[in-house]
Amino acid sequence: MPVPLESKSLKKIYRNKGRSTTAINDFTFSVKEKGVFSLLGRNGSGKTTFVKVSTTQLTPDDGYVRVFGKDVVEDEKELRHMISLVPQESRPFPHMTPYEHVYYFQKMNGKAREESKERAESVIGLLGMHDFARTECVNLSGGQKQLTMVAMALSLDTQIYFLDEPTIGLDIITRKGVWNAINKYRDAGKTILLTTHYLDEAAFLSDEIGIVSHGNFIKQGTLDELRSGLEYDTRVAMRGRVDHRAFEPYGKVHSDERGTVLFTSQEYVEKILSDSSVRKERIEIGPIGLDDVFISLVGEDIEVDEN
Amino acid sequence: MIRELYRTITSLTAMNGFIPLWRRPIALIAVISTPFSFLFFIYLFGGPSKILIGAIGGVLFTIVNASTMLQTDLLFYKLDLKFQQVVASTPINPLAYMFGLATGNIVFTLPGLAIFMAIIVYESHIGTLQILSVIGTLATTWVIFSMFSFLVSTRVREMRDIWPISVMFSIIFGVVPPIYYSISALPGPVQYVAYVVPTTWAAILLKGIVIQDFAGVALPALVFVIEMLCVLAFTSRFSDWRLNRS
Repeated sequence: MPVPLESKSLKKIYRNKGRSTTAINDFTFSVKEKGVFSLLGRNGSGKTTFVKVSTTQLTPDDGYVRVFGKDVVEDEKELRHMISLVPQESRPFPHMTPYEHVYYFQKMNGKAREESKERAESVIGLLGMHDFARTECVNLSGGQKQLTMVAMALSLDTQIYFLDEPTIGLDIITRKGVWNAINKYRDAGKTILLTTHYLDEAAFLSDEIGIVSHGNFIKQGTLDELRSGLEYDTRVAMRGRVDHRAFEPYGKVHSDERGTVLFTSQEYVEKILSDSSVRKERIEIGPIGLDDVFISLVGEDIEVDEN
Repeated sequence: MIRELYRTITSLTAMNGFIPLWRRPIALIAVISTPFSFLFFIYLFGGPSKILIGAIGGVLFTIVNASTMLQTDLLFYKLDLKFQQVVASTPINPLAYMFGLATGNIVFTLPGLAIFMAIIVYESHIGTLQILSVIGTLATTWVIFSMFSFLVSTRVREMRDIWPISVMFSIIFGVVPPIYYSISALPGPVQYVAYVVPTTWAAILLKGIVIQDFAGVALPALVFVIEMLCVLAFTSRFSDWRLNRS
């Protein structure tokens, strides 16, 4: 059985009026079947371009992307039967209801009326959209509109779903509504490729995470695998003024205007706590998080938006 | 295959035609206001004898204008809603997508077209064959300009660029060509330019069918069909349906 998604030495360059911008320099990775794979990166890191290449919107300049063994260029027609997409910053038709979106999207894809109705009812029910399913989208909240787009994509019975930043710009409560929808499909055994720059989203939803930066695929693994790839397993956050040189023997110290974070090993925690210069009420100790992994792999420099 | 195409086209027709018309009927008035204004002025300055020419012009202008304005819808769905990306990643045929939305666009013009057709039939007493020929000519005009709109919409990258473009095309293809007047009224060299525009041939055909009882319509009909095939080939070759694939 071929893997759901495989990218090898992928390169994509945008050319416009004599200028060229490398959006993807080298993406080499593969996605396992069933579950959520999150492509995590900052704006301009190549996530959206990758989705566009994978969904046959753009052609690669070099390398390849295969979806269940089908090449995005050579087998594009077959491949389109296997994929479904929520594009970045997509919006529903203002004058239509969420139910109509799903129903007509089914019919548009060749389904009969009865089958389209049943499918629309089933997806609306699964995603918990009954309360607003027959309200015109112009009157819905941002999250409900986004759920409509997700419902439309998920209504197709395809083998892999591409969700390009489906929660961008939404508040945390609304984002959780979209997360629930994604989780339900993951639990139903579907394969989902999700792009996001929200670390909490990637940590919450993903079975596996791929980290990208500046058009390069940096690393992939489960959250635990990514954590274990770091030299340290514990983060010690200290608020207020701290003489960070005192902590350098214990690990890596990072200071900014918010305070100081020491990346260290569990074995040093007691020594740190016994240090008289540390005010205990201003200290937080915990395991390394995805944000720490991300910063250690990607850094904190600004990236340019690829679009 | 045919059944699936039918479902694709009717769904898009509902999405771009019947549903918005049902919920926003005000758009109906906007679509038919311009050709009826022209008819009013033609009647005012030309008298009752010019009503037929005004109605023939009105029916043609309505089709050309609606098909040209399709550019705006197509671009809105592509750039603002990103709906074209959703569709382009499915097996849906781009021409079925275009014809579905174009049919939806025509839904708004149907009341206006019906009134103009009623005036034409009442004024000229044409028979069934002539009515069907008029409808065929209008359908070909609709295909040509819908495809042209599709081509333009796949090439434009900014929403704000499309408004001046669509208004300009509407005037160039809908108002300036000899719809409301005879082509012989144009100076010699300008006539050659006018013959390049499909609307000119559609106008010659309609006048030939309605006023001259099919006299001399064979050549315009042939040229018109060839123009449609050229636009179809040109659109298939140069439309950029899936973003910039190069």
